[in-house]
Amino acid sequence: MALVECFFVIPGAFDEAWFSGGLKGLDPRFEDAKPAQGFEILDCHDQSLRASGKVLIESGGTLRLLHAGEPVTQRCKGKGKFAQDLPKGPVRDGLAGFPKLRALMSMGAGQLENRSFAILDDLQKTQVRGSMMTLSSDYGQVSLVAVQPMRGYDRSFQAVCGKFDEMAAGATGTEPLFQALFPNLVVYKAKPQISIGTQEPSIEVATDIIRTYLAVARQNEAGVLADIDTEFLHDYRVSLRRVRSVISLFKGVFSPDQTTALKREFSDLMAPTGRVRDLDVYLLEKDDYFDLIPPNLHEGAKAMFAQFEKERAQALSSLSRRFRTASYDQQMNDLAALFSDHGNLQPGENADRAAYEYACALIWKRYRKVCKLARRITPDTPDDDVHELRIDCKKLRYLMEFFAPLFNAKAFKTIIKPLKKLQDNLGLFNDFSVQQEALLRFVAQQSNNQGRANAQIAMSVGGLIAVLNQRQRTERDRVVANFQHFDSPEIRHLFRSLFHKKEG
Amino acid sequence: MKIIACYSNKGGVGKTATSVNLAYAYAMAGQTVLLCDLDAQGAAGFYFRVKPSKKLTDARFFEDVERFTASIRASDFEGLDVLPANMTFRDFDVFLSRMRNKRSRLKKALVSAGSDYDVIILDCPPNFSTLSENIFKAADQIVVPVIPTTLSERTFDQLVSFFDTKKLPKRKLKAFFSMVQRRKTLHLETMDEMQKLYRKRFLHSSIPFAADVERMGQNRAPVSVFAPRSAASAAYQALYDEIENGVVSSQ
Ligand SMILES: Nc1ncnc2c1ncn2[C@@H]1O[C@H](COP(=O)(O)OP(=O)(O)O)[C@@H](O)[C@H]1O
Ligand SMILES: [Mg+2]
Repeated sequence: MALVECFFVIPGAFDEAWFSGGLKGLDPRFEDAKPAQGFEILDCHDQSLRASGKVLIESGGTLRLLHAGEPVTQRCKGKGKFAQDLPKGPVRDGLAGFPKLRALMSMGAGQLENRSFAILDDLQKTQVRGSMMTLSSDYGQVSLVAVQPMRGYDRSFQAVCGKFDEMAAGATGTEPLFQALFPNLVVYKAKPQISIGTQEPSIEVATDIIRTYLAVARQNEAGVLADIDTEFLHDYRVSLRRVRSVISLFKGVFSPDQTTALKREFSDLMAPTGRVRDLDVYLLEKDDYFDLIPPNLHEGAKAMFAQFEKERAQALSSLSRRFRTASYDQQMNDLAALFSDHGNLQPGENADRAAYEYACALIWKRYRKVCKLARRITPDTPDDDVHELRIDCKKLRYLMEFFAPLFNAKAFKTIIKPLKKLQDNLGLFNDFSVQQEALLRFVAQQSNNQGRANAQIAMSVGGLIAVLNQRQRTERDRVVANFQHFDSPEIRHLFRSLFHKKEG
Repeated sequence: MKIIACYSNKGGVGKTATSVNLAYAYAMAGQTVLLCDLDAQGAAGFYFRVKPSKKLTDARFFEDVERFTASIRASDFEGLDVLPANMTFRDFDVFLSRMRNKRSRLKKALVSAGSDYDVIILDCPPNFSTLSENIFKAADQIVVPVIPTTLSERTFDQLVSFFDTKKLPKRKLKAFFSMVQRRKTLHLETMDEMQKLYRKRFLHSSIPFAADVERMGQNRAPVSVFAPRSAASAAYQALYDEIENGVVSSQ
């Protein structure tokens, strides 16, 4: 059987003498290292690559992607780019599945040295060859070794691999590389796990969730300022929205006064982010928009998107200014301090209710409300009722996510699947309606005092609105069927048995 | 796939030196090469620092693809492998002719074992035998080093008559002058005569007598590796160009 190239990750300084001493009858020769080069490890903010066991190294205009130790390389730069925008090549192929909306950013930097080696026998015949890439950071060192077998010298190959294996001391995959080079690198999680006890007072649960998501929001600020990709601001907003929904959905956990004050404070925090996010969404859909209308209407759409881009730059710079102010920082620190301990908060009438019992009550009530609204929906129901259903589904989903640790995971999965489908449907219905309104507003803005707009823009927008309205109708028509899926006997039974046992 | 046999019915004429340097030239040109050391003395392997195999003296060796491929050794040079000496090369000719047949089981097995070479170079032992006869049949080209002396002339005559009596295709014979010393009148005269006598059999390239070729023994490597700018290195390169591409360099 032909042997194949083997790869090893050797943490720490490479002990050449120890390695050489352990190979009987063989004489390793390490070539002098080529001049050291700077390197950066690239990944996206939530370290998707690392989570999938891959490492992407950029150095001297070359990308090197390691997967299970096996490297592929491509000559191009990657920092700041989206994986799908890289030139065609093996690294881009290896990045298939990388989040489309996430840009590659630096996770850490250091120096890299390459050298090759040969293992010779007593006749100075080469029996094994290989190469070694040593990465060093301020914190440590790691060597990535590739060993190539040579035909007919299997035994030496196995001896050399055995030696490297000993030096790797069980280190496999790419995690040891991160441990050795960047031990303090925090793994960002947009949805961290929060443990909840069944008997835990609800005010503690609320405080834990809010504290966690405040921290998640703050982890996104730097990325918003650096404008790395749109997901930083998105995650920032989602985190704050989670905080806000805890405050509004966990009724009576905090005192009425504090609840009102907190609601206002978090709304105020989110307000300045809305415009940038809206524009991000339009710009992300740019290509889809062009596909919706015929080419002879593209001129106006181009002008519109140019306008959006300009406006986004302005909106982002004013948001960035705000993020950089001392008062914003102070406000966020104060909030973190407030939620550092539930004792800092004013308890409401439900503050001491046990988490499990409280969760059942909240979820059951919201579920009933969703069903009541949904069962009423017919082709003639006004759009506003459909919007209301969307909002209640969202609240139900939030509640279920917050309290998920208290319930059977499999049952939750069964419920969430049709709920998510219904929500996606309602979400699109809403997006199409919001987009039409936004387009109308845009034309109104572009119009002069007599209400006359630039003809090209008006035509494009008219075309878009026609298509969007069509799509909104289509989504609207799907709501009833999607709800019926969610309203199956199995799901009804699950809801009852999970959240409404006493009377069930 | 092409088979080149390096043959002479006389010892010490430069067969092994030629096989080793030709194999290296082919590999450097990007072809995959297997150099088979058919001479029991194992000199070809010696030049590549490949130790002769001890265990593989099984008579049925060439019926077994697995054993054949397992005994091949990589040289230190990309694309160049060595089949070491000390094996019984009985039936090797049959093996070779099967190797060339694209549809044979053997060929398929070799391909899947990564042993499908562009060029196979045979460093042959110096005698007429049934093995040689069959190898003449299997080979595409038979490269024959001839030292330009009266004695060598006689041996070459014998080889050509052997081809005649056995009705072997003489066009396969590619003779060249080996260890040429241009200071020697005898060498120049012999070359002149033989070229007239065997106009079609002789290549234009020749290999000079050179200390660098002898130094292969100490360096244990092809000439071009340790003396890349030597006359001997250039001569082997020219020999390769003529055998492979029919190009005659002006020297
Ligand atoms: N062109 C040459 N110039 C000088 N010495 C040579 C040359 N070719 C071969 N030799 C030497 O002559 C001897 C026999 O050569 P070798 O290639 O082993 O011949 P063969 O394989 O035909 O027996 C070796 O010692 C070798 O170094
Ligand atoms: Mg010989």
